Amino acid sequence: MAQHGGPQQRIFSPLRTALHRFAFILLIFTAFGLMLLGKADTVLIERIRAASADLVSPVMNVVSRPAASINELTDKIYNLAHLYEENERLRRENQQLLAWQQAARNLSHENVRLRELAHYTNPPALHLVTARVIADMGGAYAHSVMISAGSRDGVAKGQAVISDEGLVGRVAEAGYQASRVLLITDINSRVPVIVENSRDRAFLSGDNTNRPLLTFLTADAAVAPGDRILTSGHGGAFPPGIPIGVVSSVSENAVRVAPLFRRHQLEYLRVADYGLQGILSEKRIRDSQAPVNTNATQLSPEIPAGVGVVPAVPAEPAPSVQKPPAGELP
Amino acid sequence: MKPGVWQRLDVIARGLFPAFSVFVLLLINLLPISVPLLSTASPALALMAVFYWSVNRPDLLTAVAAFLLGLLQDLLMGLPLGVSPLVLLLVQTGSASQGRFFHNKPFSVMWWGFALVAIPALLIQWLLSSALIGALLPIKATMISYVLTAVLFPIVAWVLARAQNSLLRYV
Repeated sequence: MAQHGGPQQRIFSPLRTALHRFAFILLIFTAFGLMLLGKADTVLIERIRAASADLVSPVMNVVSRPAASINELTDKIYNLAHLYEENERLRRENQQLLAWQQAARNLSHENVRLRELAHYTNPPALHLVTARVIADMGGAYAHSVMISAGSRDGVAKGQAVISDEGLVGRVAEAGYQASRVLLITDINSRVPVIVENSRDRAFLSGDNTNRPLLTFLTADAAVAPGDRILTSGHGGAFPPGIPIGVVSSVSENAVRVAPLFRRHQLEYLRVADYGLQGILSEKRIRDSQAPVNTNATQLSPEIPAGVGVVPAVPAEPAPSVQKPPAGELP
Repeated sequence: MKPGVWQRLDVIARGLFPAFSVFVLLLINLLPISVPLLSTASPALALMAVFYWSVNRPDLLTAVAAFLLGLLQDLLMGLPLGVSPLVLLLVQTGSASQGRFFHNKPFSVMWWGFALVAIPALLIQWLLSSALIGALLPIKATMISYVLTAVLFPIVAWVLARAQNSLLRYV
């Protein structure tokens, strides 16, 4: 490093300090600008997020493997220690499951017969993509994981992500070879659900805790701890009937649900392409906006965008049909 | 004697090491680890490294670098955009200006310093994230995250100090 002598130092040193201060203030403003930009939730931000996931996915794909094998080792040690109890539990469960299997066979035969009788149209078939969890964005602020499948494999934004146990979340951003999955426990997650026994509809709203809330339940809904919660399929976002969790607690102002999956043990996930594009597709959002200037479609233009479209009120009320007086009947 | 091209490249590569180490710690933060506690609240590894380098080598981890690393963290973790850049920028600037205080002091002083700096850093992150999401995030996870961050700091600092001694002695 060259040592700067007297006069040079005297001129440049304050200049450099001023420049540093200016850069600092500029960066602070940039940060707040980014917050506004992120709040606007533009497509651009989403693309950048997807691109950054793509950027690190090759590294994470390799690095997460040793982590997974260490996890396997700890699992093995744990399993060895609990071998006897586990065996007993499985024996009992197997007996129960055999009984259920018989019931399921009877019901599925009956179902086939009834469907034939009722000319039931089958819901669209599921297309599943299996992917590995390569990163867990664990933390106090966001609940999401990264999976090793992207648009290359047919994964798109809004698709349901399920584990062996049940629904895990939905695809928040799909990159080319990696995607981010928003877990149902995240504060931004809302899933239309149904209570299995009572068929009450509700929303499962995450709040960044391990027990998401059941919201928008009707006042007379009968929900008790232990009730199973399934996806309802409303809105076309998720296939109906995917198990999500079990009601864990019911209190005056909150019904909480324990999800079926355990976040720290997520390893392989399946992304379900339901054929329907879901409520989150850009095309649908665009289509649902009211026309701006033309009124050729007879649609009311003053409806806020995104709400849906309703027919406009006719300009002239149709002349009401004159009812013949009751007394003039032949 | 004028330094050759390779020598200069070597110096530049070594100079980039602090920023690179923060990036690596970011990726380590992303690793799926099957410990139940870590999936709800993880230690802020990037924050530790940014503090360490701002105190010891503020010339190598500049404010711009801290800002960009924060941006990367937000993008990768799906956090509200702009919060981490602000937090890391404030930590970098604050620690760099107070860096002289920690020189020639025992490590425990730096540990205490970090434990103090991490409180406002995580609080700002929690407050701004809550404001941007529009709902109060559970403070409990932030508190667990703070304890993990403060407790694990010596391990990260030790690794970074080893790297600093071997790689950055003459840079």
